[in-house]
Amino acid sequence: MSGGVERVDGLDGGFPSSQLEHDGELIRTGAPVTGVVGLGEVIVTAHGDGGLRFFGADQPPVIAPVHDGVILSMARAGADRVVTGGEDGAFRETATDGTTTLIARLGRRWVDCVAAHPRRGHKACSVGGRVSVWIGAAPEPVELEHPSTVAGLAFDPTGKRLAVAHYGGVTLWTRTGTGWRPDRLEWAGSHVSVAWSPDGAYVVSAMQENALHGWRLQDSLHMTMSGYPAKPRASAWVGSRPYLATSGADQIVAWPFDGEEGPMGRAPLAVNYAGPALVSAVNGLPGTAVVFAGLDDGAVLMSDLEAKPQALVLRGTTGEAVTGVAATPSLSHLLVGDSAGTVLWAPLKA
Amino acid sequence: MNGKVPVTVLTGFLGAGKTTLLNRILTEQHGRKYAVVVNEFGETGIDNDLVVDADEEVFEMNNGCICCTVRGDLIRILGGLMKRADSLDAILVETTGVADPAPVAQTFFVDDDVAEKTRLDAVITLVDAAHCEDQLEHSHEAPEQVAFADIVLLNKTDRVDAATLARIEARLRAMNPYCRIIPTDRCDVPLDQVMGQSAFDLERVLEIEPDFLDSDHDHSHDDAVTSVTVQADRPLDPDRFQRWFSALLQEHGQDILRSKGILDLNGESQRYVVQGVHMLMESDFMGPWPAGEARRSRLVFIGRGLEQLDLEKGFAACQAA
Repeated sequence: MSGGVERVDGLDGGFPSSQLEHDGELIRTGAPVTGVVGLGEVIVTAHGDGGLRFFGADQPPVIAPVHDGVILSMARAGADRVVTGGEDGAFRETATDGTTTLIARLGRRWVDCVAAHPRRGHKACSVGGRVSVWIGAAPEPVELEHPSTVAGLAFDPTGKRLAVAHYGGVTLWTRTGTGWRPDRLEWAGSHVSVAWSPDGAYVVSAMQENALHGWRLQDSLHMTMSGYPAKPRASAWVGSRPYLATSGADQIVAWPFDGEEGPMGRAPLAVNYAGPALVSAVNGLPGTAVVFAGLDDGAVLMSDLEAKPQALVLRGTTGEAVTGVAATPSLSHLLVGDSAGTVLWAPLKA
Repeated sequence: MNGKVPVTVLTGFLGAGKTTLLNRILTEQHGRKYAVVVNEFGETGIDNDLVVDADEEVFEMNNGCICCTVRGDLIRILGGLMKRADSLDAILVETTGVADPAPVAQTFFVDDDVAEKTRLDAVITLVDAAHCEDQLEHSHEAPEQVAFADIVLLNKTDRVDAATLARIEARLRAMNPYCRIIPTDRCDVPLDQVMGQSAFDLERVLEIEPDFLDSDHDHSHDDAVTSVTVQADRPLDPDRFQRWFSALLQEHGQDILRSKGILDLNGESQRYVVQGVHMLMESDFMGPWPAGEARRSRLVFIGRGLEQLDLEKGFAACQAA
């Protein structure tokens, strides 16, 4: 993979600490951060002890014990709410004030994946190979079966289709007048997550084989994006082009999805970080081409994919892998969560 | 060790005593925090707070290599367990009686996320003394489970006579010369002999004795699992050995279930240690040869149809001129 951007020189001993982390608040929860989701000016962290924490500008964090055991997955379900799935077999919805409701209890097996369509109110979760989908305010779910355990779930931008990643490919479910119609997008190997392009034209999965696989839906054209040293499990759509910015390499690898052909036959944009650490978390900032990259050594860097591409060190090396990063849309605060359960909540504006 | 959580794998046919052993570990090692991964169709009655149902989903990598199969469900479950707020002392994985242990072991070689946080401590195979001769003869999986074992718990020995027991032990030994065979009645083995074994550390390969019993070739039907030990007194040419060994694993990795060796490479002062699961292999230099011990290279293979691979001849040809 190559790109036309200049290197930022990191240090051999890692990245130096920043002013931003000195100005910020460091909360040691002791429970690994398993997910980070932005809800406008509030940012939510999910944890390995079953708790959610809601961080806002002028208030202490709201702590909500939600699951008994690890929160395995989390998705934005509305302006002020998330849905979560846990080790305890529960699928729950929790608002920023900490009030939580049980959507369903699915037995003693793990709720591995969740998804939601905030505007239409759809929600979905998976247990093993079964996906349960609640459409709008419908009290009872529709059950969709798959040949192997589901590893990724995502509604398309319209809420009419649901992509489900599993072994051997992705199943695309389309809601019809009478039910759900499955279309199989096959590709050998194990698919561990799935995402839609913002225009709904592409579906991209991350694979066990340290690669991404994409499908252009109008003609089921395959795209393989490989060369990663680790699984590119985390990704974010960034900018208006848009780019798919991905984890899994020692640089941000951003695939261009504009034009008829998307990334086919084109080199991705790469922002090098000049160190051995791999990108483990990635997120964008709505309305901009800014991308935040969390590294597996704990550092966090910021780049603008459409401006002069260079990286700004927001946080130095800590030794604990970043598992989630997000900024508020007003750029008032940055949140970083890591595998040791430490959360950095820091004012971004100088 | 390196803060990685040890994972013990329990295999063996239904009724061999896996659940008995599991419950002994869970109740006698109280004060320790364990997670138990069981198959949803397996035996019930596991006495532990943290029991996770697994589907035993065996995934091929998309390179089509059937030697690189992994347990997809185990990757997912171990990943989830590593996100817990409380740290685990160990993880126990019980497989179904008909499971091939290779994908479990290979998961720890192939998946970087798994290898970063956990380590395979040992494969323990429970064998029912009263029924194992029949099982070894008529099933494909029973011999594989013995071949992959670091420890064979030869259980229910009170149900067979001494001559039968000796015959079974000899047969197990011929299939897997480096496993430890522990005869028991009701899984009544001291637990420090089954937990905390670090059996997959390269360092443990060094414990291979220089002289093995000769393999028993009585069970000569084509599908039989046997072992072959090859030795060389002269140093090996490193290039020649690497070429031969990787070609061997590439071409016959499906038949070679496990391999372990201590090698004297020409020009190297340290012992070179290798171990493999099917065609996946790891190796490293592991310190100088002990004073007074002959620098003799030895390599053990466990697999099917090994007689046809000319292992002795191939290994001998790796010796430096």
